[in-house]
Parts: sequence; structure tokens; C-alpha cells
Amino acid sequence: MIRLENLTKHFEMPGKEPVIAANNVSMEVGKGEICIFLGPSGCGKTTALKMINKLIPKTSGKIYIDNKDTDNIDPIALRREIGYVIQQIGLFPNLTIEANICVVPDLLKMDKQQSRKKARELMEMVNLDPNIFLKRYPRELSGGQQQRIGVIRALAADPPVMLMDEPFGAIDPINREVIQDEFLKMNAELGKTVLFVSHDIDEAVKMGDQIAIFREGILEQCDTPDEILANPANNFVKEFVGSDRALKRLKLIPVSEAILPFRMAVNPDDPLGKVADKMRSREAHIAVMVGPRGRARGYITKEEINSDQSGVVSDYSDPLPGTIHENDNLHDAVSQMYSHATDWMPVVDDDGAYKGYITQHIIASLLGEAPRKRGDRIT
Amino acid sequence: MEEIIRYVGTNYPTIFKLTIEHLYLVSISVGVAILTGVPIGVLITKDKKLADAILYIASVIITIPSVAMFGLMIPLLSMVNRGIGFWPAAIAIFLYSQLPIIRNTYTAINNIDPALREAAKGMGMSDWQRLAKVEIPLAVPVIMAGVRMAVVMNIAVATIAVYIGAGGLGTIINEGITGTNSTKLIVGAVAVSLLAIIADYLFLFIQKMLTPKGLSGEMS
Repeated sequence: MIRLENLTKHFEMPGKEPVIAANNVSMEVGKGEICIFLGPSGCGKTTALKMINKLIPKTSGKIYIDNKDTDNIDPIALRREIGYVIQQIGLFPNLTIEANICVVPDLLKMDKQQSRKKARELMEMVNLDPNIFLKRYPRELSGGQQQRIGVIRALAADPPVMLMDEPFGAIDPINREVIQDEFLKMNAELGKTVLFVSHDIDEAVKMGDQIAIFREGILEQCDTPDEILANPANNFVKEFVGSDRALKRLKLIPVSEAILPFRMAVNPDDPLGKVADKMRSREAHIAVMVGPRGRARGYITKEEINSDQSGVVSDYSDPLPGTIHENDNLHDAVSQMYSHATDWMPVVDDDGAYKGYITQHIIASLLGEAPRKRGDRIT
Repeated sequence: MEEIIRYVGTNYPTIFKLTIEHLYLVSISVGVAILTGVPIGVLITKDKKLADAILYIASVIITIPSVAMFGLMIPLLSMVNRGIGFWPAAIAIFLYSQLPIIRNTYTAINNIDPALREAAKGMGMSDWQRLAKVEIPLAVPVIMAGVRMAVVMNIAVATIAVYIGAGGLGTIINEGITGTNSTKLIVGAVAVSLLAIIADYLFLFIQKMLTPKGLSGEMS
């Protein structure tokens, strides 16, 4: 979808050596993918981004969008086909929210009724009530609300590509999480190809299908977040992603992928002897007592029972150490395990039904495996 | 006091005619000054050196005393047979208006948040569209403040234009001075002052009307 070939930028400094802001950068981003340009300030990530919509003229190299050489496209026409979001938001204070969202559709002389309808739809996607906000002016909105409008303004003309320059950098941490989640959800639906500049490794790991790490104009590594965290290409990348990179990888894996292959669900009135045999045959340490509606109610451990014991499960069950949702990530799961001082945790779905359990042991062995692409299942 | 009322009562058609003459002179001159000053103000935002030069020239012009300015106009315009009357006065007022209008336009456009410029450019607005949709609407309040200043200042300057035969309310004041007639002197002076105050409020009102709703205090 977007291909950079030997993209280079020299900033001429009078009387000094030119500053090389991009040095032979070559990379490719597939359709519908989110690629994060990551690096310390001054690494050239923003320059690389702004060369794509020609806000900064390139020195040499090629940029292809959809296999079309952008050298042959007029800058103004090109920019209207690329959504652009900046950290400072840049909503026009003299225009209403509606007029702000419809700037590019109006520039392209699209049907007004159609674009206004689209503006309403987009506002609903970011949970802002169009009836309240469309006729307001930017300064009547909070920073978080303004940046939501900034994002949907870039989407209004339905461009296939979005460039985002630290879009959530100026938003407070709590709102940032929310707006990141909203954006991911929205883009899962819209499937835009997104290039996204960030200096925050956590944001990059969360948002990116691909991360491109820059240093002094050089693209040091471009790969999936998991690959970058598991196998940093060099010491710079290793230091940049941080010494807790193994823990960061946990955020990439949903709980559902770490569930043990056997559920070990037992009924409250199952005889203990039978349960003990079952546990021994599966080499399971824990069995979870499940109620009639499929909810986890308690558990028993291998140490507590043996084959020739009489009685039923409910007599010996202990209260659960809490539960974790199957869609949460392993980072959350581990955090909960530590706070409950347990080495295992039952997993539930939206309805609270018991799905199986995870242990610290299986999580450790997952991290030891070769890095996986996002979405690969454990078999 | 009685004399003043009697004078105004008997001479109001003359006072009215002179007021119109006065306003005509100021409005034509400042009107043309807007048409040149705003584009110049926008243009010089592209080049810092040019801006410094233009603003310097305009500042020098405004420091020339009005009597001296009219004195300069007379020989220059005599070459085209317009040495006295409306033309030298109009041109002087036009020149005096340049500084407040150019400077305010330049400052307003220059002070627009660079993020807005980047957003406008990045979304694919041409330079003209950016100017028309974003920069000028945001600059209007400040530009209008410059126009207001030019109008009020030149209502005073136009009074002196009576000495080069441009008419206006200066006529009454001049008659008052030459004939040591304090009634005429007071009527003329009060009329000019009132005119300046009314014009000031009128332009303040226009300035508020032209301010984009998203910038002003009152909102829905």
C-alpha cells in the first residue's frame, strides 16, 4: 500500500554540514495496517512522515502509494487523499465542529448532504453526541473531545491512508488509553492504512501492527511489535524498548491464547475419588468447581484429595482467587495474579461462564517460544 | 450657551453639509487604504525583510505632521493641476491610514497558530483557500481594530485639510479662529469630537459583528 524506497532528506545548514534527517529509508506498509514510526526526538520520524504528504520536500528516493509514484501527483490533490492528524489538533476556531469535519469533503466538492451525514456517523463512532456537538465551536470542547474531532476530520473524506503525528501525545494518560482503544476499534472497522508517529514504546506496542524504529535518520528495525520486543536488531533498539521488554510482550498476548488445553471443570456433587483420578491422568494441579449455569464457584487442588477419599467436591472447595476475562491481555493477568498472590487464575467470558484457566508456568513458557505474529494462535 | 444653540439652529444645513463633506473625505480615503493595506499586510507575511522595510516606511509617513504633509502634497499635485482641494487631503489621509491597517493585518496573520496553518496545508488547502477560510476570518477582528484607529485618527487630520481647501468641519473652526468667534470655534470643535466618538463606537460594533462566532465571548 505504502512503499518507501531509499527515502532521503538532507536539511542544508548554511556554513555547516547538512543534517541528514532521513537516510535511505526503505520500508513497506500493507493495506489496513498500522505502522508506528518510533524513536527519540530528532530521529527523523516526523520528517519521514511529512515527506509522504509532501509537507517536507524529499531530497531523493521514492514514495509509492498503492503502487503510484507520488512524484506524479500534485501535492494539494495528494494531501486531500491522505488523512492528516497532528498533535496540536489544529481545529479551525472560526468554524463549527460540523464545518471542521467537512473541510476536506467540501474542498473536494463532495455532496454536502452526504458529507454532513457522514460527519454524524463518525461522531457516533467516537462516542460524541452529534446533536450536542455538531453546531458547537472547537473552544467549547475539552482537549480529548477536540482530538477525537481531529481524528474524524481526517477520516471524513474516506481517505485510504492516514498520517498521524503524535496524535495522542498531548492528551492526559487516562483519556489517551480511551481514545487509543476507540481508534483501534474504529480502524478495525474502517481498515485504513495508518502511519503513526510516536515516541512512546507502550503506545507503539499497543497500536502497531508494525513498528519502525528510527535513529538519526536511519531505520534501525521495522517489524512486528512482538519480533522487536523478542529480537531487537541491535543495542540501540534493545535499549530503546527497555529492559522490561519481556513484560511488554505480555500485553500482546490475549488471555484466551494461554488457557490450558483442559478445562478441568467439575461439578459440586462429583465424588472426590473420581476427580482425583481425572486430575492425575491429566497431570493437572487444579480442578475448578462449576455451578449449573457454567460459572466458576471454587476450586480444589491435587494436594487436598486422593483417590480413595469419600465425599464430594463442594465439601473441599476453596474460594477462587478472582477471575480474568478471556479478552484481557497477559500483562493484566500477571498483574492480577501478583496482587492476589496466586500462580493461577480462572478465565471467564462476557457472560461470566468459565472457559478454563491459566498458570504462571504456561505464561513463562509462552514467552520462551519463538515470537509470533499478532493473531497467530497457539496450537 | 444660548448663542451656540442659536448658531446651530440657524446654521444646521451648513453644519450638516460640512459633516458630510468631512465623512466623505475620510471614508473614501480610508476605504481605498483598506483595499491596499490589507493585501500589503498579507503579502509581507511571506518575507520578514520586506515586512520590516514596509512597516518602517509606513511608520515614517505617519510621523510627518499633517500640515507638513499637505505642504508636500501641494507642489507634487500641482503638476497635475490638483494642488489644492479634495485630492491632496485624500491622498494624505490614505497614506496616514496605511500604517495601522498594514501593521494590524501583518501582526494578525503572523500570530495565527502555526498548527492551524499546518493542519490547513496538510488537509490540502491551497494558499488562497487557507487565506480565505482560515487566516483572514481569524485576522478580521485585529484588522478592523486597525481600520478603526485609522478612521478616528483621520477624522482629526481631515479638520486641518481645510487649509488646503478640502472643506469639511475644519471650515467652521477656521472661521472661528480667523474671526475670533468663539461660538463657531466651539461648535466646530464639538462637532469634530462627536464625529470621532461616534465613528469609534460604530467601528467597534462592526468589529464585533465581523468577529467569527467561535472566537467571540457569546456562544450558543
